[in-house]
Amino acid sequence: MLPRLKRFADVLVGERIEGTYLLSRALQFMLAEQHRYQRGTALDVWAFGEIYRLWLHELGGHADPVAQTKIDNGSFGQLFYPEVDGFFDAPVIGFLGRLPAQQRLTLLLVYGEGFDHDDAARVLDVPPDTIAARLVRVSAALADRLSARPPAPAAAIVETLYPEGHRGSP
Amino acid sequence: MTELSDELLVAYVDGQLARKQTRAVDKVLDQDDVIAARVDALKYAHARLEAAFEAILAGEEMDVSAASAPAQEGLVIEWRTAKMALAGIGVGAALLLVVAGYGWPLALPGLMPPPQAETLSPQPAAMAPDWQRETARAHALLSRASVEVGLESQGNHDFVALQLAQILGANLKLPNLEAQGFRFVRAQALRFGEEPFTQILYLGPRGAPLALYAKKGEGPDTLSSERYGSIGTVTWAEDGATYLLAGEVEDSLLMRIATRIKLEPLSPLRTAPAPYTPVNGALKEDR
Repeated sequence: MLPRLKRFADVLVGERIEGTYLLSRALQFMLAEQHRYQRGTALDVWAFGEIYRLWLHELGGHADPVAQTKIDNGSFGQLFYPEVDGFFDAPVIGFLGRLPAQQRLTLLLVYGEGFDHDDAARVLDVPPDTIAARLVRVSAALADRLSARPPAPAAAIVETLYPEGHRGSP
Repeated sequence: MTELSDELLVAYVDGQLARKQTRAVDKVLDQDDVIAARVDALKYAHARLEAAFEAILAGEEMDVSAASAPAQEGLVIEWRTAKMALAGIGVGAALLLVVAGYGWPLALPGLMPPPQAETLSPQPAAMAPDWQRETARAHALLSRASVEVGLESQGNHDFVALQLAQILGANLKLPNLEAQGFRFVRAQALRFGEEPFTQILYLGPRGAPLALYAKKGEGPDTLSSERYGSIGTVTWAEDGATYLLAGEVEDSLLMRIATRIKLEPLSPLRTAPAPYTPVNGALKEDR
């Protein structure tokens, strides 16, 4: 499970070193706030949610949170370990790197983790309909790009950083 | 042309529709090439996303496996603290702490599993140490075609792929794995009972060969890994063929190679190359 948590943190912040630090802080927080875990909750859903909420909480402490969410394409590309066997799907990686963090995570949870919409919604603190809407927008945009159709307008993939109903603290 | 929204098609591709709706979309797909092409494009996009996320995970797993010492840079939480946490939050959190016990970034003395213990699958029940019995079982895989069909032109990939496809009765992939450090050596036909299958052999810089097996058939198109002793395997199915990639390499590397093969588009079924004649040769040079 640790590699899955690390992947989640890396995809969220867009690079490995910051992802390591975020995961360390989140694990420490989970131990300190153990009473928040509710029996019956899937452990991975809970842990992913805690990492995400911590990130969101820390983001709120920055003067310019939007600038903090911008990621470096080179560092993001390194997440895919191209040095291991040369795997590098540049169009898909470039596409993911340009998405807002919430949309990247939505794709990771549904297509990387195989979560259903309800569990993905629990992790990201949004209604399941929002997950479905994000998947439609992003899947359609990526399918267009890969099949060389005109890309969707940028406005179609812009989303507010703080979704409605977000809690103020992790 | 029928109008179906991307919203509906994405839900269809993701398996989120009710059975009745799925059947209705299936019917439309049978009749409408444009909608079918859109569904294919969405499926292809999803497959590429899955492969990209799988690549990250494979790398993370390698990093975690490589972290052998319990005390690394970063956060270290004492075992006593962890035990208090276990008592406080129960089995679920215990799992979290046990996996974190790999040594990074949480280190829990006494909870370090042996390297790769988590990834080892059960050994096959009938792993006989007797070489004759193992060889006899392997011998059953040889068919007449293994010997009769001359894959003598092993240097010509197109020709080899054509011969294999003819033996198999289905088109199959003959991937180039040089970027992954494995060079194609040879291919041959084998059998499972009366059904033919093919073996494509590659050699890396050292160690035992890596083999890609293919057999006509259907199955789940997702990659699934298993380990039999020292042999790691990944299986999947696509385009009317089932595949098995096997080798004595790390699970994560094997999975990445399998992902790479799966992402590679299947070339159209090759036709037999024209026999060499002075006229054919001249035509080829002209092109």
